[in-house]
Amino acid sequence: MPTVTVRTEVAGNVWKLLAQPGDAVTADQDLLIIESMKMEIPVSAPAAGTVQELLVAEGEAVGEEQALLRLQTG
Amino acid sequence: MSWQPELDELARRTAMAEAMGGDDKVRRQHDAGRLTVRERIHRLLDADSFHEVGALSGIGAYDAHGQLRQVTPANCVFGRGRIDGRPVVVVGDDFTVRGGSADASIAAKPLMAEDMAAELRLPIVRVIEGSGGGGSVKTIETKGASNLPGGIGGTRLFWRTTANLAEVPVVGLGLGSVAGLGAARLASTHFSVMTKSSAMFVAGPPVVARLGQALDKQDLGGADIQTRSGAVDMAVDTEDEAFAAARRFLSYLPSSVHAVSPVLPSDDDPQRADEALMSAVPRDRRKVYKMRPIIEAVVDRGSFFEIGRHFGRSIIAGLARLQGLPVLLLASDPFHYGGAWGAETCQKVVRMVDLAETFHLPVVYLMDCPGFMIGLEAERSATIRHGVRAMAALNQCTVPWCTVIVRNAFGVAGAAHQPAGRFSLRYAWLSAYWGSLPLEGGIEAAYRAEIDAAPDPKAKLAEIEERLNTLRSPFRSAERFWVEEIIDPRRTRALLCDFARLAEPLRTPGPARFALRP
Repeated sequence: MPTVTVRTEVAGNVWKLLAQPGDAVTADQDLLIIESMKMEIPVSAPAAGTVQELLVAEGEAVGEEQALLRLQTG
Repeated sequence: MSWQPELDELARRTAMAEAMGGDDKVRRQHDAGRLTVRERIHRLLDADSFHEVGALSGIGAYDAHGQLRQVTPANCVFGRGRIDGRPVVVVGDDFTVRGGSADASIAAKPLMAEDMAAELRLPIVRVIEGSGGGGSVKTIETKGASNLPGGIGGTRLFWRTTANLAEVPVVGLGLGSVAGLGAARLASTHFSVMTKSSAMFVAGPPVVARLGQALDKQDLGGADIQTRSGAVDMAVDTEDEAFAAARRFLSYLPSSVHAVSPVLPSDDDPQRADEALMSAVPRDRRKVYKMRPIIEAVVDRGSFFEIGRHFGRSIIAGLARLQGLPVLLLASDPFHYGGAWGAETCQKVVRMVDLAETFHLPVVYLMDCPGFMIGLEAERSATIRHGVRAMAALNQCTVPWCTVIVRNAFGVAGAAHQPAGRFSLRYAWLSAYWGSLPLEGGIEAAYRAEIDAAPDPKAKLAEIEERLNTLRSPFRSAERFWVEEIIDPRRTRALLCDFARLAEPLRTPGPARFALRP
């Protein structure tokens, strides 16, 4: 099963986690929300799959292109 | 006596040119999943439209009696042809001959291609693979002396590589490994495309390894690196997609700066009002929304052609049509730092506005900009220097301009939403919201004493915010005529089409006041 690493385009703080390991998600489903420049910026699933592992926690600061979670697809 | 022997000789030499580097080299090119330069040119151009110049050039090998054994063709193939019926110049590197390198190049060929484009006022498409005729270490031995880059007699191609940007549309296609002068010719374009299996770099992995960086081609200069860095505008899966992108880009542009873009017939209703626009922008200002569907809703259906999607992502940029008239479209992307302008976004704005100015394209800007990026990284990347440069590009341009303020307009970056010092059209959506500074975060500093003195500081903060938000209504700005019009967002397409009709006769052919820098 291929695994995709989902990254954040923007630096900011992890505002809310919307999916947990084991959750099945659809393509484009929001996985978590990054707070950046006072905005809530969702990060969505690039493909349908199952959340394998979360790599960040709520409140954590993240940098551009930082890995957020691993998604098992296919 | 007829000239049949010479005609036969011409046919024999032409066949040698068409054989390129020979069957083995052609097979290797195909096995690597790449087309030959001649296949590329034929797929790029309209069917049977290629007229080659200099096919006979190369290095001849003769026997002891002076009889020709073989001509190894020069590894630059160029000529003219048509794209959608319009004449263009195309110049391509033949990787099957000495890997496209300088050892087999004839410097006059790529130069003549560039000269021909400028003199005939035709777009040029550079099909690049290899070092694009640039020097190699081996050249020292074959020439018996070391080449001074830009030395006597060697400056003209370097000059044309950039000077043509102020004359004719220049498109670069990176198909394979592209290095050195090849990379410069790919980056020095109005629009560049590479396939995802290609790589571009100043110097390749063996040279970079000497810096202690052990990287393969993809890690060093693959599509992911080059489209995010802004050195290349677009990455595609196949060479055919690259040709399609080049053809589409050129469809929006005039053949040179001495003409204006063709206006195509459009069957999309200029009065089309998309209901979704009424709810496109969330009332909650912390929530973001997707700008691309808004673009699709207001321009001619299916006409938006995005350029540089992965670079300077706070601005979405591209070409579009309004009732068939090509325009440059800029739009904010709230998903990228709320649409705030960082250094890269500012560089993108400069490049796009310069493109519009060069080819007399009216500009439409769908704006949602909360300001420049802030923080240490923003200061380190000289955001304000790039920001004022973007502002200068806007202020210097002379093309018709129309801004639609979709949501935020804050600070100095907020001011850079239309050319200052001259008239342009501007509309604000019902969701528009502006000021010198965003309230969030600013209130605590400005009202510190009042908040500290209150029995419930949090409630006091909320009360002040409520008070200021009431005053911040765009309708109050409209009362003072600080903004001309507040509109129902569903009318946007009709107003933009009206702008296009007004702008069409204002497009003025000729060279821009300043030459474009890549």
